[in-house]
Amino acid sequence: MAWAVEATGLVKRYTGRDGTVEAVRGVDLAVAEGEVFGFLGPNGAGKSTTVRMLTTLTTITAGSARVAGHDVAAEPDAVRRAIGVALQEAGLDPRQTGRELLTLQGQLFGIASSEAARRARELLELVDLVEAADRRIKGYSGGMKRRLDLASALVHEPEVLFLDEPTTGLDPASRLTVWDEVRRINARGTTVFLTTQYLEEADALCNRLAIIDRGEIVSQGTPAELKADLRQRKSLAAEPSLDDVFLDATGRTREAVAGEVQEVG
Amino acid sequence: MTEFWALSRRAVRETLRTPEQLFPTVFIPVFFLVVNVGQVARIFPAGNTGFLEGQNYAAFQLPVSLLLAASFGAAAQFLVEEIEGGYFDKLRASPASRTSIILGRLSAEWVKSAGLSAIIVGVALPFGISVASGPGGFLLLVVLTASWAMVFSGFVQLIALKTRSAAATQSGSLVFFPLLFLTPNFVPRQLLTRPMEVAATFNPVTYIMEAMRSLVLESANWARVGRGFAVVAAAGVVMVWLNVRSIRAYD
Repeated sequence: MAWAVEATGLVKRYTGRDGTVEAVRGVDLAVAEGEVFGFLGPNGAGKSTTVRMLTTLTTITAGSARVAGHDVAAEPDAVRRAIGVALQEAGLDPRQTGRELLTLQGQLFGIASSEAARRARELLELVDLVEAADRRIKGYSGGMKRRLDLASALVHEPEVLFLDEPTTGLDPASRLTVWDEVRRINARGTTVFLTTQYLEEADALCNRLAIIDRGEIVSQGTPAELKADLRQRKSLAAEPSLDDVFLDATGRTREAVAGEVQEVG
Repeated sequence: MTEFWALSRRAVRETLRTPEQLFPTVFIPVFFLVVNVGQVARIFPAGNTGFLEGQNYAAFQLPVSLLLAASFGAAAQFLVEEIEGGYFDKLRASPASRTSIILGRLSAEWVKSAGLSAIIVGVALPFGISVASGPGGFLLLVVLTASWAMVFSGFVQLIALKTRSAAATQSGSLVFFPLLFLTPNFVPRQLLTRPMEVAATFNPVTYIMEAMRSLVLESANWARVGRGFAVVAAAGVVMVWLNVRSIRAYD
């Protein structure tokens, strides 16, 4: 099987005045080409740090990773050309217009300006921002910013798309729009690596998922496999939910986890 | 190069869309020009002060104001905003060369400073100042000021990359201010007290100031002008190298 993302023994240590913190402790991952892979975990579990390492934004302390067939540490530019990234905070330039931002993003990936402008028009239509295209981004709503951020990650038609909590803070309607986009992008063959705190989101979108806690992968498989495994191990009468799988994997109770993991209502 | 021009155009647009940050860049240097000349001009009358080369004291002070204007770059502040807002990560996640990311933003400082220094010289002309080296000299004066503005902003940008904080960047930039004043800003170097002369000799800004003065007061002393450009070029190479190293090690 061809892997879009492979990580072996991935470690990230931060050294500061207060000592060393190990944010990620030996993560092994394998994401197949064309799948939507969910990466779940409570706040501070190491999700974003793992994504930042895989997207070349943070150096790898130990272990190795390959994305789209390229070694992240040795060939960062090749990795950057193959990936699209939409991080937790929509990374946008508030002084530019939506159209300017998308055109620039295309040019940064080596696309000629006329082609970048054409691609920007196409993406603005895709994320329903045509009317706001020539307004400065600082006036956009949270949902519009998210959609624009997602569009900017797609300008160069990446092989692997990293979405770090793409729906956090969005209203239910905007969240469903993002879900539809993720499905549409994936249907065109793009591998999606999605981190989320919303278990329902993972259940709805992901072919397979991994749960990370305190920097380590504690469970990995398809949602159905994880549920079946828990049901068998605990001899449950009914099929457990993904919430139950999450709580079991992270050793948390519903009370302790309140505020860390949320369900979509 | 495509990415450099694209980033450069974006930074210029950003500058044009924040006109409020241009006001102090013009006002404060012109204010200092008026105040400094008002305080000292009578000590150095145009007719019998050799180092003025027949011009008035305002002509001698003009390079000080141009260097002051060059130190009001906004690139570092914009960069901090970009770091805090997450757009800097977006740029880093693209395959654009790290040098383009650095120079793309700083090139707006060049454009802005070239425009503003031309305006400041233009404002000074009615007050009896002339650029003795002619239109070519005027052009060199603008290019030298703009290039130093870009280099200076690049060094302040290093603080932004290191601290990622607007407050720290703003106060950190003040560290560079003494460089402007440990120079022969009121009199030529040979008239400074010995400790000040030593400090000014080791200060690279001195050579830029002297090159500018040469362009304004003389028909251009090419050795002096060349030294000024060489200092800016050398500082520019160091600045780009440090910025690229910093962006590569950025975690």
